Amino acid sequence: MAYLTGYQYYENGGSGQEDANWGSYQYTTLEDIVNNFMLMYVGNDKLVNNVERYNVIFHAKRAIQELNYDAMKETKIVELTVCDNLRIVLPSDFVNWVRISLYKDGTLFPLTENIQTNYAKSYLQDNDCRVLFDEDGDILTGTSFLDGDRLDGLSKTPYLGSGRMKGNLGYNIDGKWVFDYSVGTRFGLNTETANVNPTFKIDKKSGVVNFDSQMADQTVVIEYVSDGMESGSDVSVSVNKMFEEYIYAYIKYAILSSKFNVQDYVIRRAQKAKSALLRNARIRISNIHPGRLLMNLRSQNKWLK
Amino acid sequence: MINSVRQSVLAIANKHQQGYITPADFNLYAKQAQLDIFEDYFYRYNQWIVRQNQRASGSGYADILKNLEEVIDNFSEEKDLENVGNKYTLPSDYYLINKLIVKTNLLASGTTTSTTAVTLVKTGATFVTDGVVVGDQVCVIDDSVLYVANITVITEDTIITDSTHQWNSNSSNLVFAIYKSNKFKESERLSHTKATMLNASNITAPNITFPAYTQSGNTVDVFPVTLTNVGQIKTQYIRKPKDPNWTYQIVAGDPLYNIGDPSHQDLEIPLTDEPLIISKILKYVGISIREADVYKSAQDSEIKEQQKQG
Repeated sequence: MAYLTGYQYYENGGSGQEDANWGSYQYTTLEDIVNNFMLMYVGNDKLVNNVERYNVIFHAKRAIQELNYDAMKETKIVELTVCDNLRIVLPSDFVNWVRISLYKDGTLFPLTENIQTNYAKSYLQDNDCRVLFDEDGDILTGTSFLDGDRLDGLSKTPYLGSGRMKGNLGYNIDGKWVFDYSVGTRFGLNTETANVNPTFKIDKKSGVVNFDSQMADQTVVIEYVSDGMESGSDVSVSVNKMFEEYIYAYIKYAILSSKFNVQDYVIRRAQKAKSALLRNARIRISNIHPGRLLMNLRSQNKWLK
Repeated sequence: MINSVRQSVLAIANKHQQGYITPADFNLYAKQAQLDIFEDYFYRYNQWIVRQNQRASGSGYADILKNLEEVIDNFSEEKDLENVGNKYTLPSDYYLINKLIVKTNLLASGTTTSTTAVTLVKTGATFVTDGVVVGDQVCVIDDSVLYVANITVITEDTIITDSTHQWNSNSSNLVFAIYKSNKFKESERLSHTKATMLNASNITAPNITFPAYTQSGNTVDVFPVTLTNVGQIKTQYIRKPKDPNWTYQIVAGDPLYNIGDPSHQDLEIPLTDEPLIISKILKYVGISIREADVYKSAQDSEIKEQQKQG
């Protein structure tokens, strides 16, 4: 990508979306990566030759995807309102979640993932418990009791308010807590799930997040990672410059290791270069610098009460 | 060069009155010999790459590869291609398609309402608003012939181009497209084996950023299939050498070299290959006049010349 003038950077040259170029200097585009690789690493006198550009595109994209999953720390953030159906559809480029929070009274409350399930598909059955089908042979389904109870606020969750019932499992119905008799109930709090904040469970196949009944009409903020493919728009795909050299090394290794008649030591050398560059890039992107260390060290003498 | 080659060939072949070569025969032999040498450049180029990778080639004046590249580049041409949909017709004289360029930034397109030899008008157009500026390129198709011109003057509905073209100056229905002259991408050649799978792939399917093409005979299919605008594809290719034509006029019963004849065509290979082409032509002459000595001598000479060149 060509270098920008100050006017192009700050004002987008006076036309189009003003913020289009803000922060763009941190990134290098997929197109640049592919062009540079074809220019500098592919040739008659290079280790990599006779390779089609689509091979390079494929490996470059795979490298960017892998980096997006963990190394790059570039999370996307979306804010949505949960309606009465207590669920939201996952963002279109969602790959995995980082944190899901309730936004209330100006504060983000991180939600805990419900380690049990809070949703199910219900197969319709007759009186003999035989599964029912339609005329096409497909199974008839309906709303499960699990979903129904959740929607009605009838799933048990730990009560973490004050008073005698603190820690007991109860039902939150329209903001009021109702408890079973305490006879024969489990003693003590399950600390693993003990959290006053609402819970959620992601139904990956259905592409939705299911929340408990406390989340009705609440605002949820989802932090998630994507694969960096920008919904298929190759022109928008970019990667932080800290990872540029790693991507070249990754492509080189991927091509050499899948090519016939390349000596093993050449492949190993490429592999080592790739791994070393990934480590370097991770350290760089972690931003471990004196200023930040100083911040951590300042808290070392803080008294814990 | 062609005359000196002919004189040399005649001098050698006819030394002992063994045979005279007519201009028509000479042109045929010269064409064949030139093509032979031309094809050989590519094989030699490859051989020198292998040598270079074995570190058996020098740089500077000893850079034979560079020398061969220069020779091949003498045959390099650029041409905007005519199309029907995403199928573009290749030039008839191409030997090797080196690259296919896609003009990616389409600024405006449509049909003219009136034209002159240098002007295109489309009533109601908004060329300036669309971002068209002086120096951009306009492609016009008229009677299945593609014309490409640079814009020198622009208003909202009128374009004036840099030179007089042969498009129909009174036509009101010429299809045109205007492109940003410095925005283009290189299209990649695909084998037919891979093309279907590649197009179906989510991650590598050709798009406007990374376009691709397949070739069938004299046409190329460009992907994505939306690349269908007039003059959107340009090629840089290596053409075949033009057929040599030693032209003459009869003076006193003998053919006398006439360089001024419109059909005259000199040999296109470099002067340094003159000994080689003479040997090759003599070889054909030796076969033609059934003179084993001429053939043998020409073949020996050709082998020596080739060994010298590597």
